[in-house]
Parts: sequence; C-alpha cells; structure tokens
Amino acid sequence: MGTVGLTLHWEHRISSVAGEGGRRVDSSGIAAGQNREQNTFPDDAAMAAGCLAGDLGAYERLYRLQGARMRNLARNLLGSQTDAEDAVQDTFLKIQRGIGSFRGQSAFVTWAFRILVNTCHDVRRSRMRRKEQSQENSSEMFPQLEPRAPGAHPSLRMALERALAALTRHQRDVFLLYEVEGFRHAEIATMLEISETASKNTLFQAKKNLRGMLEPPRSTEAGGQ
Amino acid sequence: MNISCDDRERIFLDGTAEEWAGLEQHAATCCACAEELRAWKALSTAAHELRDYREDHHLWMKIEHSLKEQQRQHHVQRGFWEKLRAWGDLALGWRTALAGALVLILALSGVYVVRRQTNGGTGQDRLLKNSALAEVERAERDYMKAIDKLDEEAKPELDSPTTPLMASYKEKLVVLDSAIDELRMEAGRNPSNAHLRYELLAMYQEKQQTLQDVLETKR
Repeated sequence: MGTVGLTLHWEHRISSVAGEGGRRVDSSGIAAGQNREQNTFPDDAAMAAGCLAGDLGAYERLYRLQGARMRNLARNLLGSQTDAEDAVQDTFLKIQRGIGSFRGQSAFVTWAFRILVNTCHDVRRSRMRRKEQSQENSSEMFPQLEPRAPGAHPSLRMALERALAALTRHQRDVFLLYEVEGFRHAEIATMLEISETASKNTLFQAKKNLRGMLEPPRSTEAGGQ
Repeated sequence: MNISCDDRERIFLDGTAEEWAGLEQHAATCCACAEELRAWKALSTAAHELRDYREDHHLWMKIEHSLKEQQRQHHVQRGFWEKLRAWGDLALGWRTALAGALVLILALSGVYVVRRQTNGGTGQDRLLKNSALAEVERAERDYMKAIDKLDEEAKPELDSPTTPLMASYKEKLVVLDSAIDELRMEAGRNPSNAHLRYELLAMYQEKQQTLQDVLETKR
C-alpha cells in the first residue's frame, strides 16, 4: 500500500481538533474509556420487545437512534453509499426475521450491529466472487471509494480510507467500530465473535499499521529522553 | 505512577486510566514518547473524518416499506400453519370422526382408481359397454338371419356343384363357416371384445358376398 498520506503531515493539520480528539487516544484510555462506559443504549430492551412484537415503531426508533451510525459503518466497510444503504436495509429485514432468536445475551443494538457487519462481509464476499468471475484484472479488492460530503480534512480522510483498505479485514472492522463508531471492546468482541483481548490487540496492530502507512518517514531519533 | 518508555506500547495496547495519566506526565519530559503519544492521538482524531452522520429519511421509508412487505408475507405463511394448528382445538371425538372420514374418502378414491385401471384395457383389447354389446348382438342376429336366407337359396347348387367354380365356392364357404364358428366361440368367451366383433363382421360380409356370387353364377 502506498504512503499517500505521508506527505500530508496530517497530524499537524488536525491540530485544531486535537483538543476534542485528544481525549480519545487510547485503546481503553481515560476519557475515551469513560465516554464509552456511558455509551449504553437507551431504550434498548423496549426496542427489542417492540421489534419482537412486530411494532414498526420500534424499528423506526432503532433507525432514528442508530441508522446514521449503521449507514456510516456500512459505508466505511463497503466504500459505496448505495451498497451501504442496501446493507442497512437488508440488516433491518434480517433483524425482523431473526428477532425471535434474540435471547438478550448482548444489547439489542450490539446484536443489530453484529448483523450489519456480517451483512457487509457477505456483500464484500459476493462482490469479490463477481469480480473473480468477470476476471477483472485488478488486485485491489477494496472498491473505488465514492465521493461523499466534504469534511474538515478531505485529504486526510482520503488518505485514511486508502490506508484502511490495506489493513486486514479484522483490523479494519475493529478500527472502524472502536475509533469511528465509538463502541467498547466488549461490544466489538460480541459483534465480531472474538475475545475482548483479541479486539484490543487487533486495534493496536491496526493503529500501528495505519501509522506506518500515514506517517512520513522520520529521521533517526533517540529512543530515550 | 512511575512510567518509562518501555511501558508505552503496553499502555497503548491495554493501559488503565492511571497508566495513561502517567504516560502523559512522562511524555512531558520525553520527546520520543511525546511524539508517539501525539501520533497515537492523531489517529483517533483522524478517525473522526470518517464520520458522516447525516439524517436520511428516504432510506427509512424504503426500509419501512420492505419491513411491511416482509411482515405481510410472514402473516400469510403463519395463517396457513395456524389453521393447521386449529385442529388441536377440536374435541377428540370430532378429530377422530374427521380423520375417519378422510381415511374413508381416500380409501374409496383408491378403490375407484384401481377399478378404473383394471377395467381400462389397451387399444387392442377395447371393450364394449353393456348397452352397446346388446345392440351389436341384435344386429348380428339379424345379419345372420339374412345370410341364412341366402344360404338356403344357394344350397341346391352347392350341395351338388356342377362346375369347378361352384366346387371352389363350396370349399370357400366351408372354410368361412369354420372361421365364423371359431370366432363366435371366442366372442362368447369375451363378449366385450370389439376387435373380435369386427373380425366376425368381416367374415359374415365375406360369406354374404360369396353366396351372392354363387346365386349370380346360377342365374
């Protein structure tokens, strides 16, 4: 993977938001950890009960509370707004079909996101199969990213998207769920069916790899003080 | 808390709140750790660039529509199974009676089908219905009476044939009578066989023609 972001010196360009962003720096850090602990899902049990009873209002509530986040995660996993919307729609249909099997081992929202992540993986797998069948001569498995609403740092976002595409699937999933969507490791572990420790390790590896891809090569520095 | 550079990666991986605070303190006096910490934080901040949480009511409308459609299909399927399950609400006596009636209907249908297959012959072995058979036999009797009349008229010539032609007619009629007797015996054993009846009719026609030829020759 190229080092598209290396020349951006992006760590300096985002200094204006570092005050806010600086609070979420770690794998289980101070501020981030505290924020994540508070990140319980309001109305979770009521939503699950409503969905189980076939109340469309409960599904609408789920969409109102989590729809944007679901769409954003799917978009980052699939690289396409259209595919992301299809995946979210498919997820809601799967929730409706499978709500009878939800036993409350995890939060309802966590369960919904687990379905979404699996749906996105299915979409990617079928996309890859189609690609193999059509014998398109491309080694790039991550799709061409569609343009989206300009953020504060479009160049940084693009560099990050390209770097994410070079990560392993698990590293990408964990990074997006933890750093972008703000889930806790316990929730990510449930969603991806891995242990909490594996989630932490994967995030650490993902960030190390991303740093290697995005950072400009540094001049030799002393390791100590 | 006493934190050194060696602790940095471990804290990045799974540090407690106190350890992070300690690392921040340590980074204030350590350039390398300060740089690593800044880069680590910057990645988290950069991740915010991948957030796009705009509302999309249009997508909800699509989802709602497909949820309603799936719900409707589910109700249709469930309706069938619930009707089937309604059997369980009936009293045992009624259930037994209905099951018995069902078995009886099935048995009768089976018998009917088997009988139809047994009676239904092949094309070669076509059957005549009882009413049609009576009609054929009546016509056959009338035909035989008419032939017998011809036979009586030709009898003097045939009893003492004067020409070789008449002698050959006589022989032919003997052969025909023998074949007719054989076919009639066969038809008596299997009266519904239409094929035998056609054969018999052909023989009668041949005998009639031969007798007419005899009478013609006599004149």
